[in-house]
Amino acid sequence: MTIIAYKGSLRRKVMFLVLASTFTALFVAAAALVAYEIVIYRNALRSDLITQANILSHASAPALAFDDRKAATANLALLRSRPDILAAALYTARGAVFATYVQDTGGKTFPLLPEPDGYVIAGDSAQLFHRVVDNSEVLGTLYLRARYQLRDRLVDYLAILLGVIGASLLITALLSRNLRSAVTDPILSVAAAAHDVIQNRDFSARVKRTTDDEVGVLVDAFNAMLVEVGGRATELETSNRNLQHEMAERRAAEAALRIADRRKDEFLATLAHELRNPLAPIANALVILRTPNVPQSVAEQARAMMERQMRQLVRLVDDLLDISRITTDRLVLKRQVAALADVIRNAVETARPVMDARRHELAVQLPDHVVHVDADPTRLAQVFSNLLNNAAKYTEPGGHILIDARLQGTDVIVEVRDDGIGIADEMLPSVFEMFVQVDTSLERSQSGLGVGLSLARRLVEMHGGKLEAHSAGLGHGSVFSVRLPVVVPERNEGAAVPALARVHGLPLYRILLVDDNVDFVTSMGALLGALGHQVRIVHDGPEALLLAADFHPQFVFLDIGLPGMDGYQVARRLRESPGTRDAILVAVTGWGQEKDRQRAKEAGFDQHLVKPVEFSTIQQLFKALAPRT
Amino acid sequence: MLGIASASVLVSAAEAVSQLDAPATEGTVKAAFLYKFLSYIDWPAAAFDGPDSPLVMGVLGADQMADELADLVQGRTVGRRRVQVRKLQDRSAVSGSHLLFIGALPTERTVQAIRDAKAAGAVTVTEVPAGLALGSVINFLLVDDRVRFEISREAAEQTRVSVSSGLLGVAYRVQSGRP
Repeated sequence: MTIIAYKGSLRRKVMFLVLASTFTALFVAAAALVAYEIVIYRNALRSDLITQANILSHASAPALAFDDRKAATANLALLRSRPDILAAALYTARGAVFATYVQDTGGKTFPLLPEPDGYVIAGDSAQLFHRVVDNSEVLGTLYLRARYQLRDRLVDYLAILLGVIGASLLITALLSRNLRSAVTDPILSVAAAAHDVIQNRDFSARVKRTTDDEVGVLVDAFNAMLVEVGGRATELETSNRNLQHEMAERRAAEAALRIADRRKDEFLATLAHELRNPLAPIANALVILRTPNVPQSVAEQARAMMERQMRQLVRLVDDLLDISRITTDRLVLKRQVAALADVIRNAVETARPVMDARRHELAVQLPDHVVHVDADPTRLAQVFSNLLNNAAKYTEPGGHILIDARLQGTDVIVEVRDDGIGIADEMLPSVFEMFVQVDTSLERSQSGLGVGLSLARRLVEMHGGKLEAHSAGLGHGSVFSVRLPVVVPERNEGAAVPALARVHGLPLYRILLVDDNVDFVTSMGALLGALGHQVRIVHDGPEALLLAADFHPQFVFLDIGLPGMDGYQVARRLRESPGTRDAILVAVTGWGQEKDRQRAKEAGFDQHLVKPVEFSTIQQLFKALAPRT
Repeated sequence: MLGIASASVLVSAAEAVSQLDAPATEGTVKAAFLYKFLSYIDWPAAAFDGPDSPLVMGVLGADQMADELADLVQGRTVGRRRVQVRKLQDRSAVSGSHLLFIGALPTERTVQAIRDAKAAGAVTVTEVPAGLALGSVINFLLVDDRVRFEISREAAEQTRVSVSSGLLGVAYRVQSGRP
């Protein structure tokens, strides 16, 4: 870019500036020196010649006066010590040549006649005529010619000056090369940063301030500008992103609205059909009933059909009402501790007619012992019956349906399995949405409003549970599983329900509880049972021995203070019996002194617990003591 | 400045040239030399009555020379002093002269006159071959037909005058010690 091109230019300009000013100063100084030298040289030469002439004429005056040419010539010959004086001559007052001197190297000699006094520069020589006067009497004239070396001197002088200027410029250039970086570098770094900003759009770049002069101010201003521009760019980007995000959300919302609208339209059409459907058979039945002399069996058939269709209608309307209630938060669960088996039984009874009509084979599997849930029994039964109805609807006549309840940790899982048409993978996520039907091509008799599963899931979620659908794909049947938390009926305040939350993955045991405190032993039994253990409860020693013979418990919790036969005796008898010889015996007692523990140990107890016994203590016990059988 | 000085000098130079243009006989040359000697010799201040007192040239035994000298010095000065020429008849008149030219006289008279002149502080100029030996300060010679002169510094000292180095420089011979 152009900035790069300018990079060298600024340096060159600074260099040029320095060199130009140096050169100008030196040139002016040199010119002044030369001019001065010219003037000085001319004046010096002239005054030198005049002085020389004065001395010579004074010295030569006697020779002229007394006509002594020899002396005069000898006088002039003294000029030999002045090589710049080329020639000299003395003329008598009458103008005749009296004595002469010519330097060996001198070219021109001397004029034959004297001229008036004066100093003349002619070419490369300067000549002077000087009257020799003594006692105000003119004795003659002295002529001097000297070498006028101005040009040579000027050449020397100019050579020296050129040398000085050259050397000065060289030194200046070297110095300014180092010094200019102090001036140009900060500016160049600003330029480089500007270039980076333009090319990379990176506003986070900053120029380091190195000087306190105007360039420093420039750097500060530049940085501030970058901050400002960077801030604005970021702001703009952010608002752009927000805008895009909002737009996407709005589009999604619009699409969702359109879909919901379409579903509602479909739903209304379906609803009309569904409501209309039972009405035709009912109308037919009414016609039959009105007809006189209808055989009793036919009338009965018609009435049954009317009842069925009515039930269907009522169910539809009820479902709709429930959905509406849930949607508007008006559905209130009447929760209570309910036995799961009862709820399932009710649901099966409700769904039975449909399954029977399609000759489905229904199997029910329940846990061995009673499992309780905190639920509205009617609504929960509605969930299961909806699932069973759904299974019946999508399973060919003669198919198999299984409802299976089992414990998993602190939850109970109720699965409704069928070997029906199954669900395609892509449909799985949406089967619980309202008004969605897996197969819209189904015959009318099988169709529904698409509210059953949606309602079921909502109800399960209101119970704090989860409803999920699984399928191995179309034609492989489907599984709907309901997961609900198990509760223990609170018959005793000692029952530590929260502790249940920590029970996971423990092996299950056969446990015998022996205590005459009915409340304590019942609640403990319920807790252990809820965990899946097989629990038997008795209230005295003989009963315990009798039961243990058949039950073969792995753990026996014995109260010491039993009526009739005390805990120690029971323990000894259990140890003697082959079925319970290896059972883990735990003493549960109010006496916790060392002698009591010792006595329990002697009686054959493995462990000694002091009342009140925490449920967690028993769990730890299970972990600590390995089962022997 | 030099120009102006030269102009004024030129005028007097022309004048001088016209006077020196006379036939350069031996007598004329000697007369001119005699006059010029005045410029190169310093007399003690006591030799004059005052600063403006004239320089007196006595001529003994050479009346023609005296006339020629009188013509030559007409109107001329040496410094501020006018120059007078006196024709002397005998040595008694030597006193009062500053320079005494002794023409052709018998040797004893010449010696007498030189002795008197010395006593009177007058510089003696002779033109005999052994002039200096007789005690004269300056003695004319003829060398290659040109008029030259010799000087005795001892005689000058005895006369209590000082002869300038310039004059000594152009003398044909300078006698320093006693002869």
